[in-house]
This record gives sequence, C-alpha cells and structure tokens, in this order.
Amino acid sequence: MADTIRISTAAATTIQPIKQSKPFPTTKALTYLILIAGGLLCLLPFIWMLSWSLMNNFEVIAGRFIPATPIWQNYATAWDTAQFSRFMWNSVRITAITITGLLLFCIPAAYAFARMRFWGRNVIFALFLATLMIPDIVTLIPNLLTVVWISRLSESIFGPGGAWLNNWQSLTIPFMASAFTIFLLRQFFAQIPNDLWDAARIDGATHLTFLRYIAIPLSRAPIMTIVTFAFIGSWNSLVWPLLVVNTDEWRPVAFGLTKFVQTDAGDEFHLQMAASVIMIIPLLIVYFLTQKQFTAGIYSGGVKG
Amino acid sequence: MPLILDVPARLRGQSITQGAFVNEFYASFSFPQSIAAGNLMLALIITAVIMTVMWSRLIRHEQATHWLITAWTAGMLLMGGAWALMLTILEASTSIAASLAAGVEMPIWTQVLIIGAGTGLVGIALWLWQRTLHNHAAGSRTFILRVLAVILLVVGAVTLIRELPAAFADADQSVLRSFNVTFMFTLFSVPLQISLGLALAVLLFQNLKGKSLFRVVFFLPYVTPFVATSVVFSLLFSHNPSSPINQLLRALSIEPQNWLRESRGIFTLILGDGIPDFLAGPGLALLVIILFNVWIYAGYSAVIFLAGLGGIENDLYEAARIDGANGWHQFRFITLPLLSPTTFFLLLVSTIGTFQTFTQIFLLRKPGGYQAVDTLNIYIFNEIQRDSPNFGYGSALAFVLFGVILVLTVLQNRVAGRKVFYG
Repeated sequence: MADTIRISTAAATTIQPIKQSKPFPTTKALTYLILIAGGLLCLLPFIWMLSWSLMNNFEVIAGRFIPATPIWQNYATAWDTAQFSRFMWNSVRITAITITGLLLFCIPAAYAFARMRFWGRNVIFALFLATLMIPDIVTLIPNLLTVVWISRLSESIFGPGGAWLNNWQSLTIPFMASAFTIFLLRQFFAQIPNDLWDAARIDGATHLTFLRYIAIPLSRAPIMTIVTFAFIGSWNSLVWPLLVVNTDEWRPVAFGLTKFVQTDAGDEFHLQMAASVIMIIPLLIVYFLTQKQFTAGIYSGGVKG
Repeated sequence: MPLILDVPARLRGQSITQGAFVNEFYASFSFPQSIAAGNLMLALIITAVIMTVMWSRLIRHEQATHWLITAWTAGMLLMGGAWALMLTILEASTSIAASLAAGVEMPIWTQVLIIGAGTGLVGIALWLWQRTLHNHAAGSRTFILRVLAVILLVVGAVTLIRELPAAFADADQSVLRSFNVTFMFTLFSVPLQISLGLALAVLLFQNLKGKSLFRVVFFLPYVTPFVATSVVFSLLFSHNPSSPINQLLRALSIEPQNWLRESRGIFTLILGDGIPDFLAGPGLALLVIILFNVWIYAGYSAVIFLAGLGGIENDLYEAARIDGANGWHQFRFITLPLLSPTTFFLLLVSTIGTFQTFTQIFLLRKPGGYQAVDTLNIYIFNEIQRDSPNFGYGSALAFVLFGVILVLTVLQNRVAGRKVFYG
C-alpha cells in the first residue's frame, strides 16, 4: 500500500516538469482577446459619450474621436439649459415619495400574506401573483383612465390644487403597490422561524411589534434590493410621465433629458452628450454601491422599468 | 384543386350562411376539373407513399447508406419547405391584394368561424399524424389510409384558412405592418442577445484575472438609463456622412447610409430593389435599434448565464476530460444540456420583453424611419397619446398583443420546454 503511494507520487513529480513547459497558452490568450473586444464594444458608446461631451458642436458633427481641448464648461451649460436643477429635484422628490409609499404599503401586505391567517388569504395572494403575468401595455390604458378619473374627482372635491394629473400623486401613487415587491418580501417573511414568533408573543408582542423589531431587521437585504430597483425604475421612468405630466414642474429627469434632446437642444449635440453624462452619474453611483443587491434583484426576476 | 380552394372567394359573392358554405364545399368536388385534378393528386400521393414505404424497408437493409439518404431527404425537405413557404407568402399577398380590390366583406363572425374550423382541422391532422408515426408497425394499408386522411384534412384546413388573408385585407394596414416590425424585431434581437450572452458567459467562466471587472463592464449597458445611451447611438448612427459609423463604412468604401432615417429593408439595400417585399428584412432603422437592444441585453444574458454555469458541478467536466472529451465536446454535451433551464428562462423572458419594447424604440424613432421601427407597442402609444385619443382601439390592440405573447409563450413551453433538462 505504502509502496504504491510512493510510486504514484514519484510519477507525479516526474510528470510535473513536462506539464510546466507547455507552450504559449493560445486558448487563454484568445479568450482574453475576445473578452476584451466584447468589453470594448460595451464601453465604446460610453467613451464616445464622454469625449463628445467635452467637445464643441463642430467637432461632434465632424465625427472626431478626441476633443482638441476638453471643454469642461459644457457640463455647466448643459445643466443650466436642460434645467437639470429642476428635473433632478423632481426625480429626487418623486423617487423619495414612491419608495416611502412602496415600503409603507408593501411591507405590511407581505407580512400579512406570510404570517397571518385570514379568510381568503391564498385566493387574494394568487390574484396578486396573477397580475404579474399581465403585460404592462395592457394595464397602461386602464391605469391612465383611472388616474384621469380620480384626478377629476379629487379636483372637484379639493379644488384645482387637488388634481392628480401634473402633480406628484399621478407619478407616485400608482407605483406604491407592487405585486412583485410583495411577492419577494413575502417569501422572506415566510422563512422566519415560527419559534421567534412564539417567543415574541410570550413576551407580549403584537404582529406590529414583531414586524417592526424582528421581521424588518431580518429582511434588510431584500428590502435594500427593492429600494434599489424602485430607485432605478423611478429614475428611468419615461412612458408614464409622458402620459400624465405636461408641465416642467413635475417632469422627472428622464423625461427632461428626452425633451431637451428632442426639442431644446436639437442641434447641440455636445450639450446632449453632457446632459446624458450628468443623468447617468447618479445611477452609476447607486449601481456601484449596491452591486450585491442589484445582482440579487436580477436573479430573483426583477425587471428594470 | 384551385376550385376547391376558391370556396371562400365564391362564398363572398353569395348570401352567407354556414349551410351555403358546406354546400359550396361539396359542390366544388363535383366540378370535372377538380375531379380530374383530384384523381391525379391521389395517384401521385399513393405512389409517393408506396415509394416511401418501400424505401424505409430498403434502408433497413443498408445501414451504411442510411446517413446519405437521411441527408438527401433532409435537403429535399428543406428545399421543398422553402419553396412552399415562398409560394404561401406570394399566394397570401396576391390574395390580400385581390380581396382588397374586390372590397367585399364577410361578416366578422363567419370569418372567425371559418378560420377557427381550419385551425381545428390542422390540429386534428397533426394529432392523427403523430399517432400514425407512433403506430408505424401497424401495417402499410392503415398507414396509407391514415396518411391520406391527414392529407385530406390538411387540404380542408388550407381551404378554410385561406380566408385569413381576406380577413387581413380588411384589417388596419398600419397595425399589420407594426405587427410585422414587432416580429422582426424579436426574431433578430432575441437569438443574438442570448447567443452572445452565452458566449461571453462561457468565456468568462474560467479562472481569469479581472473576472469581476469584466462582469461589471458587460452589465453597464443594462444598468445605465436607455434615455442617455440612446442619444449616443443616435449620434453614432447619424445620417450625417461624417458620423462614426458612416466614416467606418467609407473606410470600407461603402456609401454612407441614412441609418435611423432609412425604412427600406436591409436586404433590399444590399441586393438592390428587385427583391420581393417579404424578403426585404428589417428596415435599416430597425437594424440599428436591434443592435442597440442586443448591446443592452447581451451583458444581462451573460450575467444570468453565469449564475447558471455556477450551478454545474465541476466533477462532470473532470470525468469527461478523463474520458477524452475536448473543449467542444464538454460544451456541447455538458454545458449546453445542463444550462438548458437557464436558456429556456432567458428565451421566455427575452421574447416577452422584446415584444413589449417601448423605450428603446420610442427614443430612436426618427422621421423617415417610422415605417420600419413602429412596433405595435409604439402604435398603441401613439393611439392614446394624440390629441383625440382612441382608448378603446388602443386597449383592443393591447389585448391582441397580449394574446400573441401568450400564444408564443405557450408554444415555446411546448416546443422548447420538452428539450429542457432539469438535472
């Protein structure tokens, strides 16, 4: 037994030098080459965006790749002419309201579905899940009509200030309840061991205190995922604002940029590029900060708005 | 044969009831020409079937030439299929033109009934065909009978379904065009983004330096807002002769193109104006949007594939390597089958998503390219966004789109779902 082992190790040591002197790793080099080419293809539009944002308009039209002298002033000009102070502030407001509402409504709903027993719970949850199968385009028009109708009703009750259209309500309230969010959270809440609930109840906890002090702290990761996705969805949203808002007062930044590109700065390509760079930056920061949650959200089937 | 096939066309002239239709259908068999044609067809089919049966006997003896015959048959089938497809499309387009010119409409429910019955017949034929294939050993007489029944059913189905072009002729032509664009967009985008994603993921799933950096880079197009990146693409593919892509074309001594403002099909542009419309391919403007879409989603697919690859056990590769499998074999017989659930998921999700694409197209549609890029989703949006919005029509179209997506998903489930290998 010992002999054979010794023989095999000896054989291994004699083979090793041959292995080490293998030729230049062609496949590995080729792999790198293809990956770098793919990476460059992914990055090239961004590089172009950056370099164009530093040129003057003539250079952009001439199709140059590197600016003669970088004009950093472009960013300030773009910020001002695209009214980004206003649009950014709008987007921040809309995002903040949406996320607050989302957490306020979805966390208790998910908790109730996961840990409370009430009549028709499973049927209602199945209905919630069924809405996930319906494409957005089908619900778009009914949603729009509902919001228009509520807007009129609320206007007739509260006066002109109560209208939902052209106001924060139409931009945020429809997104405060999301079947996907409730589903994701429910799965997490359902995993919390029952022993914890029993122990808490002996100590006199109600469902609300259990949710506040045990369930939410335990599910910090999925909640972060939800917040990240809500932020991205709200930051990128274009279709819905196009339909319900027609004044600058509540236009989010994606809409603002589109309007800027299509009308205000139709020929000033360098400013379009600078504005695009500005719009991307907050999202990139969020992406790099929350990479883990982001990937988790992707894997659990989250979609980008 | 053409006489039988003309039933719906002749029907349109009469007062229309189901009874009249059945009468017409039977009557068309008693025309002398159709009897003669029928006999000829029958003879042809019978000889063909007999030959096939004899052939299959022959093949059993000569295993060596089996692959040759299989290849030959496959080639013939492919050619025949292509020919039939082309004929069908030509036929459909001429009959659409004819019905347009005739301008006589059947009531919608009659059309629905006729087309539904035709589809039902196809279903029955398919079912019978599958049973026939299973009971191959049942003896050649029943086999021939069954094949004949299948052929009759298919003929009947074709007769009925030929009403479809006429129904389409009444349809909103711009809706039909937008459907065509939607299909084209999906057909070109989804396979490209999935295969590129797979390639990137497989290459990336090795012990490489900078793996996480690559992953971040591949994911960037998906993360950044389309609103911003679409601006870059519209400039890269600008109609301006000095835009980067046009400069690249000039370096390859190709004329600059109008890109996003060009609605003519790419094959028309490459081969000249002579080719028929249905072979024109996606418009040049749509091609740019397809590239944009692939650029966005290839990295996304790669990241999903990476998760799938992580689930495959390394032992399998080791065992295969010991058995002498090379890289391609490992990919073909281990990676691909074990990755099939991921691939299937991506196929479903990407098809559904691509069918509903809005933002990318909305941002990149430029005057001159509208015809080539307006998908059904864009059409619906325009329908509700204009000054006198037509919510009812928009909702109806949205439901049609939903129905198509549903049917496609079910089809994918039944066709591709069977090939998925779950561990």
